Amino acid sequence: MYWVSIVTEAAIFAILALGLDVVWGWAGDFDLAFYGYLALGSYMTMVLTIGKPTPPVSYILGYHLPYPVALLLAVAAVVVLAALIGAVALRNLREIYFAVTTLSAVSALYLIVENYTPLFDGYNGVYGLVNPGQTALNLTYNGYRIVFLGVVLVLLALVCLLVQRLSASPFGRMLRSIREDEHAAAAYGRGVFSAKYRAYLFGAALAGLAGGLFAVFISAFNPSAWTPQELLVIYAAILVGGRGNPLGVVAGVFGVYIGFIELTRFLPAPSSRPEFGPALRQVLIGLLIILMLKFRPAGLFSERLSRDRGPQ
Amino acid sequence: MSEPAAPVLEIANLSKSFGGIRAVHECSFCVRQGQVIGLIGPNGAGKSTVVDLVSGFGRPDSGSIRLAGQELIGMRPDVISRLGLIRTFQTPREWRGLTVMDNVLLARRQFGRESLWRCATRARRLRREEEADRVQARAILDRFKLTDLKNAPAGTLSGGQKRLLEFARIAAAEPRLVMLDEPMGGVNPVLGAQIRDAVRQFAAAGQAVVVVEHNLPFIEKTCDEVVVMDLGEVIAQGAFDGLRGNPRVVDAYLGMDLSHD
Repeated sequence: MYWVSIVTEAAIFAILALGLDVVWGWAGDFDLAFYGYLALGSYMTMVLTIGKPTPPVSYILGYHLPYPVALLLAVAAVVVLAALIGAVALRNLREIYFAVTTLSAVSALYLIVENYTPLFDGYNGVYGLVNPGQTALNLTYNGYRIVFLGVVLVLLALVCLLVQRLSASPFGRMLRSIREDEHAAAAYGRGVFSAKYRAYLFGAALAGLAGGLFAVFISAFNPSAWTPQELLVIYAAILVGGRGNPLGVVAGVFGVYIGFIELTRFLPAPSSRPEFGPALRQVLIGLLIILMLKFRPAGLFSERLSRDRGPQ
Repeated sequence: MSEPAAPVLEIANLSKSFGGIRAVHECSFCVRQGQVIGLIGPNGAGKSTVVDLVSGFGRPDSGSIRLAGQELIGMRPDVISRLGLIRTFQTPREWRGLTVMDNVLLARRQFGRESLWRCATRARRLRREEEADRVQARAILDRFKLTDLKNAPAGTLSGGQKRLLEFARIAAAEPRLVMLDEPMGGVNPVLGAQIRDAVRQFAAAGQAVVVVEHNLPFIEKTCDEVVVMDLGEVIAQGAFDGLRGNPRVVDAYLGMDLSHD
Protein backbone atom coordinates (compact mmCIF):
# COMPACT_ATOMS: atom_id res chain seq x y z
CA MET A 1 0.00 0.00 0.00
CA TYR A 2 2.95 2.28 0.52
CA TRP A 3 3.73 2.28 -3.18
CA VAL A 4 0.10 2.83 -4.13
CA SER A 5 0.17 5.96 -2.03
CA ILE A 6 3.47 7.21 -3.46
CA VAL A 7 2.44 6.66 -7.07
CA THR A 8 -0.98 8.28 -6.49
CA GLU A 9 0.67 11.37 -5.04
CA ALA A 10 3.19 11.57 -7.86
CA ALA A 11 0.44 11.21 -10.48
CA ILE A 12 -1.59 14.03 -8.89
CA PHE A 13 1.47 16.27 -8.86
CA ALA A 14 2.14 15.32 -12.48
CA ILE A 15 -1.25 16.82 -13.40
CA LEU A 16 -0.32 19.95 -11.45
CA ALA A 17 3.08 20.08 -13.16
CA LEU A 18 1.54 19.75 -16.63
CA GLY A 19 -0.60 22.80 -15.84
CA LEU A 20 2.39 24.73 -14.55
CA ASP A 21 4.39 23.77 -17.61
CA VAL A 22 1.79 25.41 -19.88
CA VAL A 23 2.19 28.62 -17.88
CA TRP A 24 5.94 28.56 -17.35
CA GLY A 25 7.25 26.21 -20.02
CA TRP A 26 5.21 27.48 -22.95
CA ALA A 27 4.12 31.01 -22.07
CA GLY A 28 7.26 31.73 -20.04
CA ASP A 29 5.58 33.08 -16.91
CA PHE A 30 7.35 32.10 -13.69
CA ASP A 31 4.25 31.81 -11.53
CA LEU A 32 4.60 31.43 -7.78
CA ALA A 33 0.87 31.44 -6.98
CA PHE A 34 0.35 28.07 -8.55
CA TYR A 35 0.31 25.98 -5.41
CA GLY A 36 -2.49 28.22 -4.18
CA TYR A 37 -4.66 26.93 -7.03
CA LEU A 38 -4.10 23.34 -5.94
CA ALA A 39 -4.97 24.42 -2.39
CA LEU A 40 -8.17 26.19 -3.40
CA GLY A 41 -9.17 23.17 -5.49
CA SER A 42 -8.68 20.94 -2.45
CA TYR A 43 -10.53 23.23 -0.04
CA MET A 44 -13.44 23.73 -2.41
CA THR A 45 -13.78 20.00 -3.06
CA MET A 46 -13.85 19.43 0.69
CA VAL A 47 -16.43 22.06 1.61
CA LEU A 48 -18.68 20.97 -1.26
CA THR A 49 -18.74 17.33 -0.17
CA ILE A 50 -18.37 17.05 3.61
CA GLY A 51 -21.60 18.73 4.70
CA LYS A 52 -22.39 21.37 7.31
CA PRO A 53 -19.72 22.17 9.88
CA THR A 54 -20.44 21.43 13.54
CA PRO A 55 -19.34 24.23 15.91
CA PRO A 56 -16.70 25.21 16.86
CA VAL A 57 -15.57 24.15 13.38
CA SER A 58 -16.59 26.64 10.69
CA TYR A 59 -16.23 26.84 6.95
CA ILE A 60 -18.17 28.15 3.96
CA LEU A 61 -20.81 26.26 1.93
CA GLY A 62 -20.86 22.84 3.61
CA TYR A 63 -22.75 20.93 0.94
CA HIS A 64 -23.15 17.22 0.37
CA LEU A 65 -22.60 17.18 -3.37
CA PRO A 66 -21.49 14.10 -5.29
CA TYR A 67 -17.72 14.10 -5.60
CA PRO A 68 -17.48 14.56 -9.41
CA VAL A 69 -19.82 17.57 -9.27
CA ALA A 70 -17.82 19.06 -6.42
CA LEU A 71 -14.63 18.48 -8.38
CA LEU A 72 -15.98 20.41 -11.39
CA LEU A 73 -17.20 23.28 -9.21
CA ALA A 74 -13.83 23.38 -7.46
CA VAL A 75 -12.06 23.67 -10.81
CA ALA A 76 -14.42 26.50 -11.75
CA ALA A 77 -13.66 28.31 -8.47
CA VAL A 78 -9.92 27.97 -9.12
CA VAL A 79 -10.31 29.38 -12.62
CA VAL A 80 -12.16 32.37 -11.17
CA LEU A 81 -9.34 33.04 -8.68
CA ALA A 82 -6.73 32.64 -11.43
CA ALA A 83 -8.74 35.04 -13.60
CA LEU A 84 -8.49 37.68 -10.87
CA ILE A 85 -4.80 37.18 -10.14
CA GLY A 86 -3.89 36.79 -13.80
CA ALA A 87 -5.80 39.93 -14.83
CA VAL A 88 -3.54 41.97 -12.58
CA ALA A 89 -0.26 40.08 -12.84
CA LEU A 90 -0.16 39.24 -16.54
CA ARG A 91 -1.16 42.58 -18.00
CA ASN A 92 2.11 44.44 -17.83
CA LEU A 93 4.34 42.59 -15.41
CA ARG A 94 6.97 40.17 -16.69
CA GLU A 95 9.68 37.94 -15.29
CA ILE A 96 10.73 38.82 -11.75
CA TYR A 97 7.95 41.40 -11.37
CA PHE A 98 5.37 38.83 -12.36
CA ALA A 99 6.91 36.27 -9.99
CA VAL A 100 6.89 38.70 -7.07
CA THR A 101 3.30 39.72 -7.75
CA THR A 102 2.07 36.13 -7.84
CA LEU A 103 4.08 35.33 -4.70
CA SER A 104 2.38 38.25 -2.97
CA ALA A 105 -1.01 37.04 -4.15
CA VAL A 106 -0.49 33.52 -2.82
CA SER A 107 0.95 34.84 0.45
CA ALA A 108 -2.09 37.04 0.94
CA LEU A 109 -4.33 34.09 0.17
CA TYR A 110 -2.41 31.95 2.63
CA LEU A 111 -2.72 34.51 5.41
CA ILE A 112 -6.43 34.98 4.77
CA VAL A 113 -7.14 31.25 4.80
CA GLU A 114 -4.99 30.73 7.89
CA ASN A 115 -6.49 33.58 9.92
CA TYR A 116 -10.05 34.05 8.72
CA THR A 117 -11.68 30.96 10.22
CA PRO A 118 -15.17 31.30 8.66
CA LEU A 119 -13.59 30.51 5.31
CA PHE A 120 -11.87 27.14 5.73
CA ASP A 121 -11.58 26.93 9.54
CA GLY A 122 -8.21 28.69 9.64
CA TYR A 123 -5.24 26.73 10.80
CA ASN A 124 -7.24 23.60 11.62
CA GLY A 125 -8.35 23.25 8.05
CA VAL A 126 -11.12 21.07 6.71
CA TYR A 127 -11.32 17.30 6.83
CA GLY A 128 -13.72 14.42 6.42
CA LEU A 129 -13.60 13.62 2.74
CA VAL A 130 -12.93 9.92 3.28
CA ASN A 131 -12.96 7.80 0.15
CA PRO A 132 -16.01 9.25 -1.64
CA GLY A 133 -18.01 6.43 -3.20
CA GLN A 134 -16.36 3.64 -1.26
CA THR A 135 -19.64 2.22 0.05
CA ALA A 136 -21.40 2.62 -3.29
CA LEU A 137 -18.60 0.70 -4.98
CA ASN A 138 -18.54 -1.84 -2.17
CA LEU A 139 -14.78 -1.70 -1.75
CA THR A 140 -12.44 -2.30 1.15
CA TYR A 141 -10.26 0.62 2.23
CA ASN A 142 -7.20 -0.78 0.44
CA GLY A 143 -9.25 -1.80 -2.58
CA TYR A 144 -10.57 1.75 -2.82
CA ARG A 145 -7.08 3.18 -2.71
CA ILE A 146 -6.05 1.00 -5.63
CA VAL A 147 -9.15 1.96 -7.64
CA PHE A 148 -8.49 5.62 -6.83
CA LEU A 149 -4.93 5.23 -8.10
CA GLY A 150 -6.39 3.80 -11.31
CA VAL A 151 -8.75 6.78 -11.67
CA VAL A 152 -5.91 9.23 -11.08
CA LEU A 153 -3.71 7.48 -13.63
CA VAL A 154 -6.49 7.53 -16.24
CA LEU A 155 -7.05 11.24 -15.62
CA LEU A 156 -3.31 11.86 -15.85
CA ALA A 157 -3.20 9.99 -19.16
CA LEU A 158 -6.12 12.06 -20.51
CA VAL A 159 -4.60 15.33 -19.34
CA CYS A 160 -1.23 14.32 -20.74
CA LEU A 161 -2.80 13.48 -24.10
CA LEU A 162 -4.63 16.81 -24.19
CA VAL A 163 -1.56 18.82 -23.20
CA GLN A 164 0.61 16.92 -25.66
CA ARG A 165 -1.87 17.70 -28.41
CA LEU A 166 -2.01 21.38 -27.50
CA SER A 167 1.76 21.48 -27.27
CA ALA A 168 2.12 20.40 -30.90
CA SER A 169 -0.75 22.63 -32.07
CA PRO A 170 -0.82 26.22 -33.40
CA PHE A 171 -1.88 27.27 -29.88
CA GLY A 172 1.32 25.86 -28.38
CA ARG A 173 3.41 27.38 -31.16
CA MET A 174 1.83 30.79 -30.64
CA LEU A 175 2.48 30.71 -26.88
CA ARG A 176 6.09 29.75 -27.45
CA SER A 177 6.57 32.62 -29.89
CA ILE A 178 5.40 34.94 -27.12
CA ARG A 179 7.81 33.31 -24.69
CA GLU A 180 10.71 33.74 -27.13
CA ASP A 181 10.03 37.37 -28.04
CA GLU A 182 6.75 39.00 -27.12
CA HIS A 183 7.41 42.23 -29.02
CA ALA A 184 7.98 40.29 -32.21
CA ALA A 185 4.87 38.24 -31.45
CA ALA A 186 2.83 41.44 -31.07
CA ALA A 187 4.37 42.82 -34.26
CA TYR A 188 2.94 39.73 -35.98
CA GLY A 189 -0.52 40.26 -34.57
CA ARG A 190 -0.58 38.19 -31.39
CA GLY A 191 -2.50 39.68 -28.49
CA VAL A 192 0.11 38.95 -25.85
CA PHE A 193 -2.01 39.46 -22.77
CA SER A 194 -4.98 37.50 -24.04
CA ALA A 195 -2.80 34.56 -25.12
CA LYS A 196 -0.94 34.45 -21.81
CA TYR A 197 -4.23 34.81 -19.94
CA ARG A 198 -5.81 31.85 -21.72
CA ALA A 199 -2.75 29.72 -21.00
CA TYR A 200 -2.87 30.82 -17.37
CA LEU A 201 -6.52 29.90 -16.91
CA PHE A 202 -5.99 26.54 -18.60
CA GLY A 203 -2.99 25.80 -16.38
CA ALA A 204 -4.90 26.86 -13.27
CA ALA A 205 -7.79 24.57 -14.21
CA LEU A 206 -5.37 21.62 -14.20
CA ALA A 207 -4.08 22.77 -10.81
CA GLY A 208 -7.67 22.82 -9.57
CA LEU A 209 -8.22 19.30 -10.85
CA ALA A 210 -5.05 18.16 -9.10
CA GLY A 211 -6.30 19.86 -5.94
CA GLY A 212 -9.65 18.07 -6.08
CA LEU A 213 -7.87 14.72 -6.40
CA PHE A 214 -5.43 15.67 -3.69
CA ALA A 215 -8.38 16.25 -1.34
CA VAL A 216 -9.32 12.57 -1.68
CA PHE A 217 -5.72 11.51 -1.38
CA ILE A 218 -5.13 13.13 2.00
CA SER A 219 -8.80 13.53 3.07
CA ALA A 220 -7.94 16.60 5.14
CA PHE A 221 -6.52 19.91 4.09
CA ASN A 222 -5.03 22.71 6.17
CA PRO A 223 -2.45 25.45 5.67
CA SER A 224 0.48 23.21 6.62
CA ALA A 225 -0.27 21.17 3.46
CA TRP A 226 0.44 24.03 1.08
CA THR A 227 3.32 26.17 2.22
CA PRO A 228 4.62 28.05 -0.82
CA GLN A 229 7.92 26.12 -0.78
CA GLU A 230 6.09 23.03 -2.04
CA LEU A 231 6.01 24.62 -5.45
CA LEU A 232 9.80 24.54 -5.61
CA VAL A 233 9.70 20.76 -5.91
CA ILE A 234 7.31 21.01 -8.86
CA TYR A 235 9.60 23.50 -10.58
CA ALA A 236 12.55 21.20 -9.91
CA ALA A 237 10.63 18.29 -11.43
CA ILE A 238 9.77 20.27 -14.58
CA LEU A 239 13.37 21.38 -14.88
CA VAL A 240 14.65 17.81 -14.54
CA GLY A 241 12.11 16.33 -16.92
CA GLY A 242 12.29 19.03 -19.56
CA ARG A 243 10.51 22.37 -19.61
CA GLY A 244 8.03 22.46 -22.48
CA ASN A 245 7.97 18.71 -23.05
CA PRO A 246 4.78 17.21 -21.51
CA LEU A 247 5.98 13.60 -21.33
CA GLY A 248 9.30 14.82 -19.96
CA VAL A 249 7.46 16.79 -17.28
CA VAL A 250 5.53 13.69 -16.20
CA ALA A 251 8.74 11.67 -16.14
CA GLY A 252 10.39 14.45 -14.15
CA VAL A 253 7.65 14.46 -11.52
CA PHE A 254 7.78 10.69 -11.10
CA GLY A 255 11.57 10.79 -11.05
CA VAL A 256 11.84 13.59 -8.52
CA TYR A 257 9.02 12.32 -6.29
CA ILE A 258 9.79 8.67 -6.30
CA GLY A 259 13.49 8.62 -6.97
CA PHE A 260 14.53 11.68 -5.11
CA ILE A 261 12.12 12.30 -2.27
CA GLU A 262 11.84 8.65 -1.37
CA LEU A 263 15.57 8.04 -1.48
CA THR A 264 16.23 10.98 0.75
CA ARG A 265 13.92 9.45 3.35
CA PHE A 266 16.77 7.11 4.14
CA LEU A 267 19.04 9.97 5.05
CA PRO A 268 20.08 10.07 8.69
CA ALA A 269 17.42 11.76 10.81
CA PRO A 270 18.58 12.05 14.40
CA SER A 271 15.65 11.78 16.77
CA SER A 272 16.83 14.82 18.67
CA ARG A 273 16.47 16.86 15.49
CA PRO A 274 13.38 15.66 13.61
CA GLU A 275 13.44 18.69 11.30
CA PHE A 276 16.85 17.69 9.96
CA GLY A 277 15.54 15.31 7.28
CA PRO A 278 13.00 17.66 5.64
CA ALA A 279 15.44 20.56 5.84
CA LEU A 280 18.17 18.53 4.16
CA ARG A 281 15.66 17.53 1.50
CA GLN A 282 15.01 21.20 0.71
CA VAL A 283 18.76 21.74 0.41
CA LEU A 284 19.07 18.79 -1.94
CA ILE A 285 16.19 20.05 -4.09
CA GLY A 286 17.98 23.37 -4.35
CA LEU A 287 21.19 21.59 -5.27
CA LEU A 288 19.34 19.54 -7.89
CA ILE A 289 17.97 22.72 -9.50
CA ILE A 290 21.43 24.31 -9.58
CA LEU A 291 23.07 21.22 -11.06
CA MET A 292 20.39 20.85 -13.72
CA LEU A 293 20.68 24.50 -14.71
CA LYS A 294 24.44 24.17 -14.91
CA PHE A 295 24.75 20.92 -16.81
CA ARG A 296 21.49 20.28 -18.59
CA PRO A 297 19.35 23.41 -18.63
CA ALA A 298 16.86 21.99 -21.14
CA GLY A 299 16.13 18.99 -18.88
CA LEU A 300 16.54 15.29 -19.54
CA PHE A 301 13.92 15.41 -22.31
CA SER A 302 14.20 18.81 -23.93
CA GLU A 303 11.34 20.60 -25.67
CA ARG A 304 10.53 18.91 -28.95
CA LEU A 305 10.91 20.97 -32.07
CA SER A 306 8.33 20.45 -34.75
CA ARG A 307 9.59 18.82 -37.93
CA ASP A 308 8.38 19.79 -41.36
CA ARG A 309 8.49 16.61 -43.39
CA GLY A 310 7.21 18.08 -46.61
CA PRO A 311 8.99 18.04 -49.95
CA GLN A 312 12.23 19.99 -50.59
CA MET B 1 4.03 58.98 -64.85
CA SER B 2 0.76 57.15 -64.41
CA GLU B 3 -1.97 57.92 -61.88
CA PRO B 4 -0.60 57.98 -58.33
CA ALA B 5 -1.48 54.81 -56.45
CA ALA B 6 -3.72 54.88 -53.39
CA PRO B 7 -2.08 56.06 -50.16
CA VAL B 8 -1.45 53.25 -47.69
CA LEU B 9 0.08 55.23 -44.85
CA GLU B 10 -0.78 58.85 -44.15
CA ILE B 11 1.01 60.55 -41.28
CA ALA B 12 -0.10 64.07 -40.37
CA ASN B 13 1.33 66.45 -37.77
CA LEU B 14 2.68 63.61 -35.65
CA SER B 15 4.37 64.69 -32.43
CA LYS B 16 5.95 62.86 -29.52
CA SER B 17 8.07 64.11 -26.63
CA PHE B 18 10.00 62.11 -24.08
CA GLY B 19 10.22 64.32 -21.02
CA GLY B 20 11.40 67.64 -22.42
CA ILE B 21 12.87 66.16 -25.59
CA ARG B 22 10.95 66.56 -28.82
CA ALA B 23 11.60 63.21 -30.47
CA VAL B 24 9.13 63.78 -33.28
CA HIS B 25 7.60 67.17 -34.05
CA GLU B 26 4.76 67.92 -36.48
CA CYS B 27 5.90 65.20 -38.80
CA SER B 28 3.85 64.55 -41.96
CA PHE B 29 4.36 62.29 -44.95
CA CYS B 30 2.52 59.73 -47.01
CA VAL B 31 3.39 56.35 -48.54
CA ARG B 32 1.53 54.93 -51.52
CA GLN B 33 0.92 51.41 -52.75
CA GLY B 34 3.98 49.93 -54.38
CA GLN B 35 6.17 52.77 -53.19
CA VAL B 36 9.43 52.42 -51.26
CA ILE B 37 10.16 55.41 -49.03
CA GLY B 38 13.54 55.84 -47.37
CA LEU B 39 13.38 57.51 -43.98
CA ILE B 40 16.80 58.99 -43.36
CA GLY B 41 18.47 61.43 -41.06
CA PRO B 42 21.23 61.61 -38.47
CA ASN B 43 21.13 59.61 -35.23
CA GLY B 44 18.44 60.94 -32.93
CA ALA B 45 16.43 62.44 -35.78
CA GLY B 46 13.31 60.54 -34.67
CA LYS B 47 13.14 57.94 -37.44
CA SER B 48 12.79 54.88 -35.23
CA THR B 49 10.35 56.76 -33.02
CA VAL B 50 8.15 57.27 -36.07
CA VAL B 51 8.23 53.52 -36.71
CA ASP B 52 7.34 52.86 -33.06
CA LEU B 53 4.46 55.34 -33.15
CA VAL B 54 2.99 53.98 -36.37
CA SER B 55 3.22 50.37 -35.20
CA GLY B 56 1.65 51.09 -31.80
CA PHE B 57 4.78 50.45 -29.74
CA GLY B 58 4.67 54.08 -28.67
CA ARG B 59 1.78 56.47 -28.21
CA PRO B 60 1.98 59.86 -29.94
CA ASP B 61 1.14 63.08 -28.11
CA SER B 62 -0.78 64.39 -31.10
CA GLY B 63 -1.30 63.96 -34.80
CA SER B 64 -2.87 61.38 -37.01
CA ILE B 65 -1.72 58.08 -38.50
CA ARG B 66 -3.93 56.40 -41.08
CA LEU B 67 -3.40 52.95 -42.53
CA ALA B 68 -5.55 52.45 -45.62
CA GLY B 69 -7.75 55.25 -44.34
CA GLN B 70 -8.15 53.91 -40.81
CA GLU B 71 -6.91 55.93 -37.84
CA LEU B 72 -4.38 53.90 -35.83
CA ILE B 73 -3.76 56.11 -32.83
CA GLY B 74 -4.63 54.40 -29.56
CA MET B 75 -4.51 50.90 -31.00
CA ARG B 76 -2.33 48.11 -29.63
CA PRO B 77 0.57 46.80 -31.76
CA ASP B 78 -1.14 43.45 -32.38
CA VAL B 79 -4.32 45.15 -33.59
CA ILE B 80 -2.38 47.41 -35.94
CA SER B 81 -0.47 44.41 -37.22
CA ARG B 82 -3.72 42.64 -37.99
CA LEU B 83 -4.79 45.65 -40.05
CA GLY B 84 -1.84 44.97 -42.32
CA LEU B 85 1.36 46.44 -40.93
CA ILE B 86 4.54 44.45 -40.34
CA ARG B 87 7.49 46.23 -38.78
CA THR B 88 10.96 44.99 -37.97
CA PHE B 89 13.31 46.01 -35.20
CA GLN B 90 16.92 47.14 -35.41
CA THR B 91 18.13 43.62 -34.71
CA PRO B 92 16.43 40.54 -36.16
CA ARG B 93 13.85 39.34 -33.65
CA GLU B 94 13.41 35.71 -34.60
CA TRP B 95 11.66 33.30 -32.21
CA ARG B 96 14.88 31.60 -31.21
CA GLY B 97 13.62 28.35 -29.75
CA LEU B 98 11.25 27.64 -32.64
CA THR B 99 12.28 26.21 -35.98
CA VAL B 100 12.77 28.35 -39.07
CA MET B 101 9.64 26.73 -40.52
CA ASP B 102 7.60 27.56 -37.41
CA ASN B 103 8.82 31.15 -37.60
CA VAL B 104 7.46 31.45 -41.14
CA LEU B 105 4.23 29.61 -40.30
CA LEU B 106 3.62 31.98 -37.39
CA ALA B 107 4.05 34.85 -39.82
CA ARG B 108 1.26 33.37 -41.99
CA ARG B 109 -0.99 34.63 -39.19
CA GLN B 110 -3.82 32.13 -39.23
CA PHE B 111 -5.18 33.38 -35.94
CA GLY B 112 -8.37 31.34 -36.13
CA ARG B 113 -6.33 28.15 -35.87
CA GLU B 114 -4.73 29.26 -32.63
CA SER B 115 -7.87 28.95 -30.53
CA LEU B 116 -7.30 26.72 -27.50
CA TRP B 117 -10.62 25.01 -27.99
CA ARG B 118 -10.13 24.25 -31.68
CA CYS B 119 -6.59 23.03 -31.06
CA ALA B 120 -7.88 20.68 -28.36
CA THR B 121 -10.82 19.28 -30.31
CA ARG B 122 -9.94 19.61 -34.00
CA ALA B 123 -6.23 18.85 -34.07
CA ARG B 124 -6.30 16.69 -37.17
CA ARG B 125 -8.47 19.05 -39.18
CA LEU B 126 -6.24 22.00 -38.29
CA ARG B 127 -3.20 20.07 -39.44
CA ARG B 128 -4.89 19.46 -42.78
CA GLU B 129 -5.85 23.12 -43.09
CA GLU B 130 -2.29 24.13 -42.33
CA GLU B 131 -0.86 22.14 -45.21
CA ALA B 132 -1.64 24.95 -47.69
CA ASP B 133 0.31 27.40 -45.54
CA ARG B 134 3.18 24.95 -45.29
CA VAL B 135 3.38 24.70 -49.06
CA GLN B 136 3.54 28.47 -49.29
CA ALA B 137 6.07 28.68 -46.45
CA ARG B 138 8.30 26.14 -48.21
CA ALA B 139 8.25 28.22 -51.38
CA ILE B 140 9.18 31.33 -49.41
CA LEU B 141 12.01 29.52 -47.61
CA ASP B 142 13.24 28.39 -50.97
CA ARG B 143 13.21 31.93 -52.28
CA PHE B 144 15.36 33.08 -49.34
CA LYS B 145 17.66 30.04 -49.52
CA LEU B 146 16.65 28.78 -46.09
CA THR B 147 15.19 25.43 -47.15
CA ASP B 148 18.06 23.38 -45.73
CA LEU B 149 17.61 25.08 -42.39
CA LYS B 150 13.84 24.79 -42.13
CA ASN B 151 13.93 22.39 -39.18
CA ALA B 152 16.76 24.15 -37.35
CA PRO B 153 16.02 26.32 -34.31
CA ALA B 154 16.02 29.92 -35.56
CA GLY B 155 18.39 30.92 -32.76
CA THR B 156 21.17 28.84 -34.33
CA LEU B 157 21.17 30.81 -37.61
CA SER B 158 23.97 33.21 -38.51
CA GLY B 159 23.34 36.95 -38.41
CA GLY B 160 22.81 37.09 -42.17
CA GLN B 161 20.47 34.12 -42.19
CA LYS B 162 18.44 35.77 -39.44
CA ARG B 163 18.06 38.84 -41.67
CA LEU B 164 16.80 36.61 -44.47
CA LEU B 165 14.41 34.88 -42.09
CA GLU B 166 13.07 38.32 -41.16
CA PHE B 167 12.27 38.93 -44.83
CA ALA B 168 10.83 35.44 -45.24
CA ARG B 169 8.45 36.19 -42.38
CA ILE B 170 7.38 39.48 -43.96
CA ALA B 171 6.82 37.73 -47.29
CA ALA B 172 4.71 35.12 -45.50
CA ALA B 173 2.65 37.78 -43.71
CA GLU B 174 1.68 39.61 -46.92
CA PRO B 175 1.13 42.99 -45.21
CA ARG B 176 -0.12 46.19 -46.85
CA LEU B 177 2.70 48.17 -45.29
CA VAL B 178 6.21 47.09 -44.30
CA MET B 179 8.36 49.23 -42.02
CA LEU B 180 12.00 48.17 -41.88
CA ASP B 181 14.17 49.59 -39.10
CA GLU B 182 17.78 49.50 -40.30
CA PRO B 183 17.62 46.31 -42.37
CA MET B 184 21.24 46.74 -43.49
CA GLY B 185 22.77 46.70 -39.99
CA GLY B 186 25.71 44.27 -40.04
CA VAL B 187 24.92 43.07 -43.54
CA ASN B 188 27.58 42.17 -46.14
CA PRO B 189 27.32 43.36 -49.79
CA VAL B 190 26.02 40.06 -51.21
CA LEU B 191 23.28 39.86 -48.63
CA GLY B 192 22.62 43.57 -49.19
CA ALA B 193 21.74 42.87 -52.80
CA GLN B 194 19.35 40.11 -51.71
CA ILE B 195 17.70 42.45 -49.25
CA ARG B 196 17.34 45.11 -51.94
CA ASP B 197 15.70 42.57 -54.24
CA ALA B 198 13.34 41.51 -51.47
CA VAL B 199 12.29 45.11 -50.82
CA ARG B 200 11.71 45.73 -54.52
CA GLN B 201 9.64 42.55 -54.72
CA PHE B 202 7.41 43.74 -51.88
CA ALA B 203 6.86 46.97 -53.81
CA ALA B 204 6.25 45.11 -57.05
CA ALA B 205 3.53 43.14 -55.27
CA GLY B 206 1.82 46.41 -54.41
CA GLN B 207 2.96 46.66 -50.83
CA ALA B 208 4.09 49.98 -49.41
CA VAL B 209 7.54 49.99 -47.79
CA VAL B 210 9.22 52.41 -45.39
CA VAL B 211 12.94 51.84 -44.83
CA VAL B 212 14.83 53.52 -42.01
CA GLU B 213 18.49 53.23 -42.93
CA HIS B 214 21.85 54.95 -42.59
CA ASN B 215 23.34 53.24 -45.61
CA LEU B 216 22.75 55.93 -48.24
CA PRO B 217 23.89 53.95 -51.29
CA PHE B 218 21.33 51.32 -50.33
CA ILE B 219 18.64 54.00 -49.99
CA GLU B 220 19.57 55.53 -53.31
CA LYS B 221 19.32 52.21 -55.15
CA THR B 222 16.24 50.89 -53.37
CA CYS B 223 13.90 53.77 -52.65
CA ASP B 224 11.59 55.74 -54.90
CA GLU B 225 11.63 58.74 -52.61
CA VAL B 226 13.23 59.76 -49.36
CA VAL B 227 11.98 61.64 -46.32
CA VAL B 228 14.77 63.37 -44.44
CA MET B 229 14.36 63.98 -40.73
CA ASP B 230 16.45 66.01 -38.33
CA LEU B 231 15.75 66.79 -34.67
CA GLY B 232 12.29 65.26 -34.95
CA GLU B 233 11.16 67.25 -37.96
CA VAL B 234 10.82 66.39 -41.62
CA ILE B 235 13.27 68.75 -43.29
CA ALA B 236 13.02 67.53 -46.86
CA GLN B 237 11.15 65.08 -49.00
CA GLY B 238 11.42 63.90 -52.59
CA ALA B 239 13.62 62.01 -55.01
CA PHE B 240 17.10 61.21 -53.69
CA ASP B 241 18.88 63.08 -56.46
CA GLY B 242 16.99 66.29 -55.82
CA LEU B 243 18.23 66.39 -52.21
CA ARG B 244 21.93 66.52 -52.93
CA GLY B 245 21.92 70.25 -53.24
CA ASN B 246 19.44 70.94 -50.42
CA PRO B 247 21.40 72.97 -47.87
CA ARG B 248 19.28 71.81 -44.88
CA VAL B 249 19.93 68.19 -45.73
CA VAL B 250 23.64 68.74 -46.22
CA ASP B 251 23.74 70.66 -42.97
CA ALA B 252 21.92 67.91 -41.06
CA TYR B 253 24.45 65.41 -42.31
CA LEU B 254 27.28 67.75 -41.23
CA GLY B 255 28.48 68.24 -44.75
CA MET B 256 28.66 64.55 -45.49
CA ASP B 257 28.99 63.90 -49.19
CA LEU B 258 25.68 62.46 -50.27
CA SER B 259 26.92 61.63 -53.72
CA HIS B 260 29.55 59.19 -52.54
CA ASP B 261 29.05 55.63 -53.64
